Amino acid sequence: MDISTIVAASLSLGEKFSISITTLLTGFVVVFAVLILLIVIISIYGKICYSAQNASKKKKEKIEQSQKQETPAPAKTAPAPSSVSGISDEIVAVIAAAVDSTYGVGNAKIKSIKKSPSVGRPVWGQAGVLDNTRPF
Amino acid sequence: MEIINGFLDGIVGLYQSSGFVKLSWENYVMVGVSFILLYLAIAKEYEPLILLPLAFGMLLVNLYPSIMGAPNTEFILMDEFKKTHDVESQSVQYATTVLNGQTYYNVPTYGGLLYYLYQGVKMGIYPPLIFLGIGAMTDFGPLIANPKSFILGAAAQIGIFITFFGAIFLGFTKAQAGSIGIIGGADGPTAIFVTSKLAPDLLGPIAVAAYSYMALVPIIQPPIMKALTSKKERAIKMEQLRPVSKLEKIIFPVIVIVLVALLLPDAAPLVGMLMLGNLMKESGVVDRIAKTAQNELMNIVTIFLGVTVGATATGTVFLQLNTLKIIALGLLAFCIGTACGVLFGKLMCILTKGKVNPLIGSAGVSAVPMAARVSQKVGQQENPSNFLLMHAMGPNVAGVIGSAVAAGVLLSVIPH
Repeated sequence: MDISTIVAASLSLGEKFSISITTLLTGFVVVFAVLILLIVIISIYGKICYSAQNASKKKKEKIEQSQKQETPAPAKTAPAPSSVSGISDEIVAVIAAAVDSTYGVGNAKIKSIKKSPSVGRPVWGQAGVLDNTRPF
Repeated sequence: MEIINGFLDGIVGLYQSSGFVKLSWENYVMVGVSFILLYLAIAKEYEPLILLPLAFGMLLVNLYPSIMGAPNTEFILMDEFKKTHDVESQSVQYATTVLNGQTYYNVPTYGGLLYYLYQGVKMGIYPPLIFLGIGAMTDFGPLIANPKSFILGAAAQIGIFITFFGAIFLGFTKAQAGSIGIIGGADGPTAIFVTSKLAPDLLGPIAVAAYSYMALVPIIQPPIMKALTSKKERAIKMEQLRPVSKLEKIIFPVIVIVLVALLLPDAAPLVGMLMLGNLMKESGVVDRIAKTAQNELMNIVTIFLGVTVGATATGTVFLQLNTLKIIALGLLAFCIGTACGVLFGKLMCILTKGKVNPLIGSAGVSAVPMAARVSQKVGQQENPSNFLLMHAMGPNVAGVIGSAVAAGVLLSVIPH
């Protein structure tokens, strides 16, 4: 038995009880207080961010709507994106989604999708090289 | 004849310096324990990333204790030393001490390899670095989307303080009891950080217990979760979380560290590094160092931490009644933490009129992401179409912050 254990063993039951209860109470109250404070702060700023984003989204939608109303409707429907045969509708949807997520919904239009001739390194290989060399 | 004598002397010298003469029975028992841990790490894959180096450190130190030996200074008579060393041509100058009219060289002997690596544990350097990596890997999105998860992260820390109670009554000092209680946080780096400051003598048993229980989360938690919840509660499906914007994710680490560092400075090294890692990840502008923090740095520190913590478990230190008490108290802390998390989950379930599945409460212990996976698994046993993982990740990452805050409380209320 080391010295510190002997010191602990020499504490009376009342002392042990008071030490334990004090630590238990302090720990319980402080941990909850800090985390509840975090809940309050994060809830508030979460709401602010969320509402700010919603407001900007609505604003964008309004602008888009007004632009639509201003410009007369085209006589003919817009021509479908010209595509090289062999590109399925699913691929077109994926590319459209990627373009939307990069430039924001409605900020870019796809006019045509063409297969680029594959020369040299495959596209994933090229992406890997870019990823590793970009910082330099 | 001279050759044979020299040969025999050499063999006897080798034998006398070998482990067969120098090691005690405790060392051999610990070698056996390290074999079991190696088996668990390799065959059962229980937290192998930490358990394997830890077990090997334990093996090494019990076969060759000098590997953890501290540096020393030997006083060697100047004349004696000069007989065997060409002092004049050496570039090193030794300090001299004169005792009883005789001059001695103060010749330093260097410590063992693991002694130097262990300084990172002793000085509390490795655990915050591990937290840096964890922060760079963690997505706080589920917690930001549902901040109430913090309550569950706090509830699961109650085990720490209740176990403190038990440890004091089992004869441990305040500092030792604090270190034992922190095992209940189910967070290895936090347990090591607190123990290295409060009770470094217990580092071996506490680290081994903390990591063992983290590895055993899928075995320990489900029976407690099932015992405290009804079938109907376990089958509750939760609403999908709202999307969290990049801006919110960037602001989160800054807010957390400002608040925690101001309120609990002792928790700042752990929470600070956690939040720095997270900010590096979420900001997206320092991709290179974020990747380093979550991969190379984390891996290097894990090796050093694992091996050196294992190396603290020498036979004489580990094979004591206190170790058994620590292992039992650690398990108690962990079970109470899980139970409190689930009970608070139940409370939230009642308050939200059945919108919260109490199973996510057990993820409040911070074994990331294992505890969240356990919530998902137990939930799916009742309802295969139920996906609780993202909901459980909220309390899970809240638990990491919660256990660091609890560590800060212990370090500030217990003198060290």
